[in-house]
Amino acid sequence: MGKNVLLVDDSSTMRKIIGRSLRQAGIDFDNIFEAADGLEALEILEKEHVDIVLSDINMPNMDGIAFLREKANREGIKNIPVLMISTETGDDIIGEAKSLGAVGAIKKPFTPDKVNEVLGPLL
Amino acid sequence: MDISEKIIESAKEIFSSMVMMEISVSGDNMTKSVTLIESISGVIGLAGTHKGVLAIHIPNKVAMAITSSFLGMDVDEMNEDVEDAVGELANMLGGNVKSILSENGRDINLSLPSTITGQQYDFQPTKEAERIIIPFRCDAGEFTIDLQLEKIMISV
Repeated sequence: MGKNVLLVDDSSTMRKIIGRSLRQAGIDFDNIFEAADGLEALEILEKEHVDIVLSDINMPNMDGIAFLREKANREGIKNIPVLMISTETGDDIIGEAKSLGAVGAIKKPFTPDKVNEVLGPLL
Repeated sequence: MDISEKIIESAKEIFSSMVMMEISVSGDNMTKSVTLIESISGVIGLAGTHKGVLAIHIPNKVAMAITSSFLGMDVDEMNEDVEDAVGELANMLGGNVKSILSENGRDINLSLPSTITGQQYDFQPTKEAERIIIPFRCDAGEFTIDLQLEKIMISV
């Protein structure tokens, strides 16, 4: 069975770009789900089988940090790996994300090669 | 390297890696803007140790071309895709400026990006601000990146 990914970003442009970068990196997913914020992401995770989440940090309604915090409290979805894709690079915020379970971070702007380098080993 | 050179480097990286478009500086830096005609501006606020705003001002025709390249599909009208793309450009530029101004981006927070569009408008600081406006060109035309910071030393 192939893998499913959930892309979480309030920018529909960025979700399309990430999808394009995955294809250009040669990373195939059976299903690419999309969410515009952490709340939508949690709803999708509760309903669909998702193997990995790629999430922005700065989003309205529920940002990436709050998403990680809430996800960690939900038994059925807490172990799904989350990779942050964000303009944020500060050690403090990335450190906080990792302390809440994020498995890594990619800084925007990014290239398909960077996506492959960080995401490939996680799949 | 001064701040405008770092912004130029950052903008080139963003356009090259994400928009798949090469850009170059088209003139000298300015400190006063001109009236924006049939344009769209992506705007993001900065707060913390440095307060200000970063904006990218793009004529509609150029914004549509940039969005087309960004998304890999033809965009021939001003719509939500263009607004979103321009907002995301401001977001990425803001993220890089944050890292330029503060070690590791610490101590500066970014707002969510927003966009302004119109037939004719001016974009001016309401308080005294240090301002750098850098003009760029791409195949589709010209645009500017506009950084306004609360009046402190902004060269790094």
